Amino acid sequence: MTWHLLNADGLDNARFETGAEIYRQQCADCHGGDGQGNETGYNDPLFGDGKIPEISRVIDQTMPEGEPELCSGDQAEAVAYYIYHEFYSLAARREKGFAPKPRVELSRLTVDQHRHSIADLIAAFTPEPRYESKGLSDYRSRRGNASTQDAPLAEQAGLRGTYFDSRGMNKADSLKVDRVDRRIDFDFGAGSPTADMKPDQFAIIWDGSLFATETGDHDFRIRTENGARLYVNHDAVESRGRLRDDSSVAGSVALIDAWVSSGQRREESARTFLVAGRSYPLRLEFFKYLDDSASITLEWKTPGGVWQVMDHNVLSTAPAKRSFVVDIPFPADDRSLGYERGRSVSNQWHQATNEFAVAAAREVVARLPILAGIESDTPDRFDRMEEFAKQFARRAFRRPVSELEAERIAQTLADNADNLDGGLLCVMLMILKSPSFLYTNLPMDPSSRGYEQASTLAMVMWDSIPDDALLQSAAEDDLKTDQKIRDQANRMLTHSQARSKLTGFFHQWLEIEERDLVKDRDLFPDFDTAMVADLRSSLLRFVDRVVWSKRSDYRELLQSDYLLLNDRLRTLYDPSFDPTLERSPLSDQFRQFKFAKQRRAGVLTHPYLLSAFSYHNSTSPVHRGVFLTRNVVGRALKPPTEAVTFQDDQFDQGLTMREKVTQLTRDSSCMACHSVINPLGFALEGYDAIGRFRTKEGDSPVDTKTQYVTADGDSIAFQNAADIAKFAVDSEDAHRAFVKAVFHHLVKQDPDAYGPDTLDVLTGKFRDNEFNIQKLVVEIAVVAARKT
Amino acid sequence: MKRSDRRNAVTSRREVLRDLGIGSLATLPFLGGLNSLAADADSVASRKRLIIMFSPNGTLPGEFWPDAFENQLAGKESVQSGLQLKSMLAALEPYREQTLMLKGVDNKIGGDGDRHMRGMSCVLTARELNPGNIQGGSDNPAGWASGISIDQEVRNFFQSRETSRTRFGSLEFGVAVPNRADPWTRMCYAGDNQPLAPIDDPAQMFRKLYGGAKDRKSVASVLDHVRDDLRHVSGRLSAEDRAMLEQHIEHVHQLEKDIAAAEQQSELVHPQPDIDPEIELVNDNTPEIARMQIDLLVNAMANDMCRVATLQFMRSVGQARMRWLDIEEGHHSLSHEPDKNKVAQAKLKRINDWFASQLALLAGKLAETPEPGGDGCMLDHTQIVWVNELGKGNSHTLSDIPFLLIGGGAGFRTNRALDLKDASHNRLWLTIAQGLGHHELTTFGSERLCAGGPLDLA
Repeated sequence: MTWHLLNADGLDNARFETGAEIYRQQCADCHGGDGQGNETGYNDPLFGDGKIPEISRVIDQTMPEGEPELCSGDQAEAVAYYIYHEFYSLAARREKGFAPKPRVELSRLTVDQHRHSIADLIAAFTPEPRYESKGLSDYRSRRGNASTQDAPLAEQAGLRGTYFDSRGMNKADSLKVDRVDRRIDFDFGAGSPTADMKPDQFAIIWDGSLFATETGDHDFRIRTENGARLYVNHDAVESRGRLRDDSSVAGSVALIDAWVSSGQRREESARTFLVAGRSYPLRLEFFKYLDDSASITLEWKTPGGVWQVMDHNVLSTAPAKRSFVVDIPFPADDRSLGYERGRSVSNQWHQATNEFAVAAAREVVARLPILAGIESDTPDRFDRMEEFAKQFARRAFRRPVSELEAERIAQTLADNADNLDGGLLCVMLMILKSPSFLYTNLPMDPSSRGYEQASTLAMVMWDSIPDDALLQSAAEDDLKTDQKIRDQANRMLTHSQARSKLTGFFHQWLEIEERDLVKDRDLFPDFDTAMVADLRSSLLRFVDRVVWSKRSDYRELLQSDYLLLNDRLRTLYDPSFDPTLERSPLSDQFRQFKFAKQRRAGVLTHPYLLSAFSYHNSTSPVHRGVFLTRNVVGRALKPPTEAVTFQDDQFDQGLTMREKVTQLTRDSSCMACHSVINPLGFALEGYDAIGRFRTKEGDSPVDTKTQYVTADGDSIAFQNAADIAKFAVDSEDAHRAFVKAVFHHLVKQDPDAYGPDTLDVLTGKFRDNEFNIQKLVVEIAVVAARKT
Repeated sequence: MKRSDRRNAVTSRREVLRDLGIGSLATLPFLGGLNSLAADADSVASRKRLIIMFSPNGTLPGEFWPDAFENQLAGKESVQSGLQLKSMLAALEPYREQTLMLKGVDNKIGGDGDRHMRGMSCVLTARELNPGNIQGGSDNPAGWASGISIDQEVRNFFQSRETSRTRFGSLEFGVAVPNRADPWTRMCYAGDNQPLAPIDDPAQMFRKLYGGAKDRKSVASVLDHVRDDLRHVSGRLSAEDRAMLEQHIEHVHQLEKDIAAAEQQSELVHPQPDIDPEIELVNDNTPEIARMQIDLLVNAMANDMCRVATLQFMRSVGQARMRWLDIEEGHHSLSHEPDKNKVAQAKLKRINDWFASQLALLAGKLAETPEPGGDGCMLDHTQIVWVNELGKGNSHTLSDIPFLLIGGGAGFRTNRALDLKDASHNRLWLTIAQGLGHHELTTFGSERLCAGGPLDLA
């Protein structure tokens, strides 16, 4: 870059020249001529996201090392001006060739994309599950003694429970009750579920679906002294009314088979892998036969969670398709840029894709009668398989199948004419190992541009493959205008997978994953794993409530003055709560509790995050401050120049945490960043290590008043978290950082690759749309899928 | 969750993990026992195996038991004549000299559960059922068996010793076993309340035994196309993106080399049997399924993947309709017909004749396979026991269970029949376990039924 060009952009020549001169004299020895650093001086290249006032301040206060007075005031400002335009900013580095030009990079499927794509691929061929109302109404008309309504029940939270009197052990005989149970946690004692049922023998079937919000191993547990079977993610087939001793869901293997019992209450558990954002069929069958008593509890444990009774929050009476999910261990995706993206193809990744492809291919071959209606004696088996495989490939490749590909499918089947199942297995492997499936954005034929757009939209919104409606619009090349794309994106936003993907963003933004919240038992005796699980739930529900409300307002996330609490959390966090006086009928239900003005500020003061960013026995203003700096006010931080561990016993125990941290970070090299971090962290000192509001730390009053210097060099007074939240919702930097983070999560590409002003435009729209997060998602999808 | 179900539930995943971890896990030797084979010649010479075959619903005593028993005759007479097999067991004639029939062995287990339940779930466990919620045709309802079955006892014994340890220890084969778990469908137990599910799908068993190699071949077969596609598309990419695909191609190449290496390492002493993976698990395919399962069983043993196996035909109270024998009625219903119903008797004879022929198929395969690294044939080193849950179908008796033993595994004197006169079957299992080398076992199942100790069968 020459400065003449900069001049044309409105560069202040004189300032630039002055800065350049000072830099050569005082800085270049250590930092190198282009800020690249050198071996004898400062190793790390000078670049970053800071703005000129910020750089200027650091130079003024710390440079040259040991003699900061040599360069201060206007001189420091000129140097900052020079280096910013010459090599510090990303734009300058790109011009100099130090940083690659932004471009849309070829990407393979991420692990999540892989799992969803294969699951949706198979689901696309799986028939819709049918409600069993038919079987039941038949039953009623035959028996004529049902006690409840005849119309099929509308979708409701919970499971549909059908209660039968039995005859001859567990033979479901006459339907007595047809209702919705919000949770399965019953102790019938020696009696019967309802007055008009016989106590000595009865049977109950609970049916519906389960929505998973986490990916990973889920544990299920049945507690009963009677007989029970649990099916999870089975093939929904019409089951017969009778139970008897046959496994009633034909062909499916029960996850837990506790059918045979010796009358003692026992626990049977089993583990299965589920992928977030999907509904899974669930069925629990239960019978009592002459046992002394009857009870049944259905519990589960989500990844990282604790055992709890499954309830209406995750259960629905709506039927669901079986989803193909399998726990193939994948190497973690690259997160070096702060978001998961598919940029490396390691040997382990190849092995994982092999395993996944084989497992999926087997699933397809084994379930061919369901998926394609092809039985072993179907007469035109070859032709039907070929057609099925082509349809499968079209969905997997997210575009029409080429002649060559179609020919390969036919040839592979023909080569295996004596073992068509084996041939189909090979075809499935061919499809699932093909680069056209494994890479999300390989260039397609010019005639298939609509498919490219559809594919991008599906990946951005769902981390998956296009559905029928998208393929249709691709085929008609109907994504030509922004509005058409917007319409599709709006439609797709209502899908549970879009919800799940956006939830994934908040997991990442709020750094919810893999947090260790274990606290000192003596100091915080009530803060156990169940409490942590409740807090996590409270935070996720809060985010969910805000994001999926009509306003979907980003500001509410930061500023709302309430917490969602159940009774257990209230005992810790609501000082007005007296559990002996006030007991809600559903004590584990989360309800909204408002706090006094300025007392709580959305996610900033959510006890889960305040606890997460604390030590086991004290707060950590540095951890809290770093989180706020990076994720809320949107400023970049470099790693510390030296790793310093906070050791509480090195300080005078009379000091407050604020005083200790101030002492620890007072060194000028620390203060380059800590001058930003500390004030933000200190403003949150009004909350202890588990996020309870406090005015005292030990015997000392807590001081939360701080002065924060913005990236533009302004100084602002903060008294509490609400002040920080107010600052963030008014800060364009904060908005831009949020928009960029959402973009990364959704698109997994650099927004600059879509034009240099992409972020500015999106941030402007975000503001114009009253900070509506759902609309932001849609606008990002439009940018990513727009025809180029 | 019962252990058996858990085992099944994870099998497929674990198979895939093990067999497809191409670079790493698949390089484990496929033949767990081969090491000990090479290392310890003594252990080869003394290698012993146990196979228990089950068929349901009782036998026809008159057609099953010989007219004369050795211990009822003068010594010389019996030695000269040897065992005389009746026509229902004609299929076993080639193995008559290695056959020992034991009448008068009773399942004396009382307690809860009807006799079919106790017959099935106590035949190998030889102890009472737990109380429970499963109601049979009579008696109190009952639960699972309360202890380990003899096959698992012997398996654990073999697995506890370096010289007899194998990859699987035991394999539980089924033929036409319905998809349900209750005391009528389970005879093998890992312990109290721990039924083991037999695998009745040959394709599933095949994958369990040999799946990895097959998957490797399937994956290998598509790699050429993958490489072509990668080359084809990389032409349209920028240099930076092309680098990623070139890396991909490199990995594909590596994968091919790994697959080739894994193929070499997994060559079997006895090549894997030919299994039609498309076989449908329907009643009418039962003979074909049985043949495959027997092939797989003998093959697994020839490759020393296990030294204990069970082969369970149907289940107690099974209603198999053996149309391949021109029989339309369900087996269990037929078995209830009174002795005077000659038509039913003839059909039951055909049914049991068929089961005998399956046993003959099993014995024959073992007889024609030379003992790997040892003397004689595999049958010389294998103790086959054919059992039933009842003595007789229409009486539901648990006495005179048709015990028929073939082979040399336990070192019994064969080519004869004995009437042991009300011996408990606990004692027979004890004798067999000791014959297979498990000398520390001094009682099995209900202790009170072990009085008298092992039987003298040598």
